[in-house]
Amino acid sequence: MSKWKIYTPDGVQDILFDECYAKKEMEGRIRKTFRSYGFYEIETPTIEFFDVFSTDIESFPQEGMVKFFDQKGRILVLRPDITVPVARITATKNRDVQLPIKYSYIGNVFRFNEVGGGRQNEFTQVGVELLGDSSCESDAEIIAVAINTLKAAGLENFQIDIGQVGFFNGLAEEAGLSEKDIAGISKLIDRKDYVGVEEIVDRYSMPDELRELILKLPGLFGSLDVIEKLKKITKNKKSLAAIENIEEVINILRDYGLTKYISIDLGMLKGPDYDTGIIFRGFTYGVGFPILSGGRYDSLTSTFGKDCPAIGFSIGINMLMMALGKTLLSKDRPGVDSLICYKKNSRKSAIEIAETLRKQDMNIETMMLGEGIEKGLEYARSKQIGGVILIEADGRILVHDLENDIVSETSIEAILNSK
Amino acid sequence: MRYLTIALSKGRLTEMSVELFEAIGIDCSELKSSTRKLILCDEKNKIKFFLAKPADVPTYVEYGTADIGIVGKDTILEEGRNLYEVLDLGFAACKMALAGPAELQGKIDELTIRRVGTKYPNIARNYFEKTRRESVEIIKLNGSVELAPLVGLSEVIVDLVESGRTLKENGLVVLDNIADISARMVVNRVSMKMENERIQKIIDGVRRQLLLRR
Repeated sequence: MSKWKIYTPDGVQDILFDECYAKKEMEGRIRKTFRSYGFYEIETPTIEFFDVFSTDIESFPQEGMVKFFDQKGRILVLRPDITVPVARITATKNRDVQLPIKYSYIGNVFRFNEVGGGRQNEFTQVGVELLGDSSCESDAEIIAVAINTLKAAGLENFQIDIGQVGFFNGLAEEAGLSEKDIAGISKLIDRKDYVGVEEIVDRYSMPDELRELILKLPGLFGSLDVIEKLKKITKNKKSLAAIENIEEVINILRDYGLTKYISIDLGMLKGPDYDTGIIFRGFTYGVGFPILSGGRYDSLTSTFGKDCPAIGFSIGINMLMMALGKTLLSKDRPGVDSLICYKKNSRKSAIEIAETLRKQDMNIETMMLGEGIEKGLEYARSKQIGGVILIEADGRILVHDLENDIVSETSIEAILNSK
Repeated sequence: MRYLTIALSKGRLTEMSVELFEAIGIDCSELKSSTRKLILCDEKNKIKFFLAKPADVPTYVEYGTADIGIVGKDTILEEGRNLYEVLDLGFAACKMALAGPAELQGKIDELTIRRVGTKYPNIARNYFEKTRRESVEIIKLNGSVELAPLVGLSEVIVDLVESGRTLKENGLVVLDNIADISARMVVNRVSMKMENERIQKIIDGVRRQLLLRR
């Protein structure tokens, strides 16, 4: 029965002291960034009904979700993301709240992923969602928040790729592609599989210009001047609107002073199936997967009974921590300022000193000793505590400065007023 | 400058890949010498190479431990990794096919196939689920797949067919083509963006070479 007792299940992890400290600290900085743009934090249940995530727009494959049953036999899942619950809330509990609504969240999500390279089955997602605003301004604001969040987390070298699914949809409509071929070719374009794209395009007769443009789609990525060029050769209204959307978003990001992080990829298509307009992904060195993904999902809330435009992004914290690697851990370490050692008969004054120092925002540990101070010093060294304070019964206080290897004597008054 | 890492498939693709890279000015001399080193370098261009089992190449590239990989389309289909598949190198061309005893020829639409022997369980499963919309029992084999229908392990097989000679000599025929197979260049999704200039230069160089050889 106890075969698995000492193991953890696949894809979950214990996050211990230094790493946990760095994670919480980083989440704190991210939370602050979200708040600075007026996004308010919410918590949604870890457990949701399966139906929430299995709407007509198939956003999550059922084999990727952790499922179980409630007492009534209904299927439950551990949430695979928090965007869908936010859409549910907006269409139900918040249906009469003044728009736009700005949500933020920090929470764990669960997916049966293949584990590795930063991917886990349980991982922390942070993100924001802006509901009820379909303007370019909101597109740009969300991207700006995304960039500044990565910066606040300590990442310096990263790139945000912007795409627009409307551009491809317009071309596909113009070419008269069947629904099945649209699904097929968009996957192929997203894989930059030129051969596969050509195979499908060759089945249709269409103007040469349009044919060329679709064949070029996988390679339509790079610096911002891609947009300028495309604007000249795009014919159909829908695609042109998509291009103008990106152009305007870039103009706004220029006002934010953030264009150096931006590049374009119009061949980026296969996100969650609820993408409807602008989409974006964040990349950095040292991680083989995107660390951030976001986009517009105007049709998602309607599956819950209310039409409402929406845009948002999320970041995988574990992936981000992998990208930051050692720099993150060296910057932030949990620490204890002093260890206060005492014997039984000096306990009262030891506790009094410890409590007073704690109220002064210091981190203090206490330890009762038998004979000698050696045990206290040994523990302090192992935990890299810089100072050990020994309280003697006669009121004498010895301070061991372990960093400089100095022992000095002081009084209770001196210690309490030292800060 | 950061090293670019290229994963090559060990085996029949190695020599042709090396030759292509040399033609575009990448130094593969270390790779051709019979060294036991696992990772080999072109210091001038800051490129590292390693040889891996073909089935592992898509994994290395998906995880970003290799930026670029050279691997057969059969392996790409079987492994189902999330990659950029940027170039068809054209060599090592063959077909992934459904094959079976000659008497089944022309009858495959009326057949109810129950058991399929293959080295490529994912490709076979995909083909039967998506293209034929059938539920079948897939039997994973590791070699001499043609044997399976002969000894009654399965009715049909899904396998690579090059000349078709092995099939013919064993009284088997191709019943349906599943996919055209050849060597492909794959690129990690993040590398393509973060190292776009250098990777694009390699892709363009190889593409020019391929055109010259046509």
